[in-house]
Amino acid sequence: MISEQRYWNPLLETLPHQKIRDLQLRKFKRIFQWAYDHSKFHRQLYEQAGIKPADIRSFADIRRIPTVEKSMMRSVQRKDPFPYGDPLAVPLEEVSEFRQTSGTTGQPVYQADTWQDWEWWAECWAYILWAQGYRPRDRVFLPFGYNIFVAFWAGHYAAEKIGAEVVPGGVLDTQARILKIQELKATAMMATPTYILSMADTAHTKLNIDPRNLSIRRITCAGEPGASIPSTKKRMEEAWNAKVFDHAGATEIGAWCFECEAQPGGLHVNEPFFLVEIQDLQTGEYIEEPGRKGKMIITALDRVGQPCIRFDSKDVIEWQTESCSCGRTARLIKGGVIGRADDITKVKGVLLSPAAIEEVVRSISGLGDEFEIVVDKVGDIDRIALKVEIVKGKTDQRKAIETELKDQLRLKTNLGYELEFHEYGTLPRYEVKAKRFKDLRKAH
Amino acid sequence: MQKKIDMDKIDRKIQRMKQDALDLKEMADSFPAVYRNTSRILASIKMLEMNVSDLISE
Repeated sequence: MISEQRYWNPLLETLPHQKIRDLQLRKFKRIFQWAYDHSKFHRQLYEQAGIKPADIRSFADIRRIPTVEKSMMRSVQRKDPFPYGDPLAVPLEEVSEFRQTSGTTGQPVYQADTWQDWEWWAECWAYILWAQGYRPRDRVFLPFGYNIFVAFWAGHYAAEKIGAEVVPGGVLDTQARILKIQELKATAMMATPTYILSMADTAHTKLNIDPRNLSIRRITCAGEPGASIPSTKKRMEEAWNAKVFDHAGATEIGAWCFECEAQPGGLHVNEPFFLVEIQDLQTGEYIEEPGRKGKMIITALDRVGQPCIRFDSKDVIEWQTESCSCGRTARLIKGGVIGRADDITKVKGVLLSPAAIEEVVRSISGLGDEFEIVVDKVGDIDRIALKVEIVKGKTDQRKAIETELKDQLRLKTNLGYELEFHEYGTLPRYEVKAKRFKDLRKAH
Repeated sequence: MQKKIDMDKIDRKIQRMKQDALDLKEMADSFPAVYRNTSRILASIKMLEMNVSDLISE
């Protein structure tokens, strides 16, 4: 009976959108008051801006509140209450979970969560898994090195919460994980797109196992935008004969959006739990209408230990025009997280998105899954090198592949590239988040 | 056929559970096993509030 229910929460997920907005405003006022009263960092920030909780009466008032950037968190941490510093909004003894960011863009940020916050993480993930068709009958395998990074920890707890059986893949190596999936007939798994493709490659090349013949029928991705990039999603789905779903989350934010079973070409923002605002990258104007890209400012409406209020995530997103056939009333962002404001950079005067290059590379069947983009300057001229691999058995088609790649890149990105063809298996392989984009101009 | 969800009734039961858990926690400040388990129950009750009570509270 429970398994037949379409929604994890039939009330909240089908609420008329205006009521969702009313709920968001009520919850925003509550979390803002909480942070103002309990976190020295937030109190100081808002006092300097001359804003008090009583001033917040509308969404327009919310936009006057200063945003928080990762760099601000770095500068106030590693102090008492150690190591979280002034952003902490609860007594240290109430903190039950430590996580930290990966440090991709600098010194890692520490994140404190209370047990209530940790329940909330799992609750947000429970909405995701239920919407993607996970049910108590599923046996969920997590090929994930449980550690200081949040990654799939909450996915694990949420799978338990919805009643599924969880197999922690922990410190097993890739081959052992594949064999365990085979042995236990696991039905679902969660990993980064890079690792999903890498596992399929290992299954073929090292174990002579075709992943399509394993029992995985559902895969949830995170950490990279790949599961929302059509050609990468297609590669994963074909490799595993499984449906692949995207979701986005972050250590400082939580699991804030997800793809549902209807796969409408976008991700639902979990709006009853998160307030998402989109700000134009150039003008700073707030974007309400679909079809315009901007960077996301996000508030986690229920996170108390180390509040996340108007966090400037640098994720680039846009609202989707169409609603979803699944019946969920939470708005969709088109094509997931399109990129990072840091990554979407101008090259030769044209905006370059690494995700657009990934879409092209993965759409050409003669090319392997791995690639690398290096932007540099030769004199005053920008240069983009794109390193790719031709799959085994297709090296005789190199000329045709090169022509197709050049044409598609020009069409999809309006830029020219210096192409480098590498022997299959020689470009770096990644197990978690891949680092395929290097902008060396910043080093000059 | 889908049963109609009586949100008010569910909320009343959530609030009753919450009050019982709070009372229990207050009685247990020298009884770690009761105190800590009740704290965790209260975190779970908070999830019920987020799923139901927050919808009806003004």
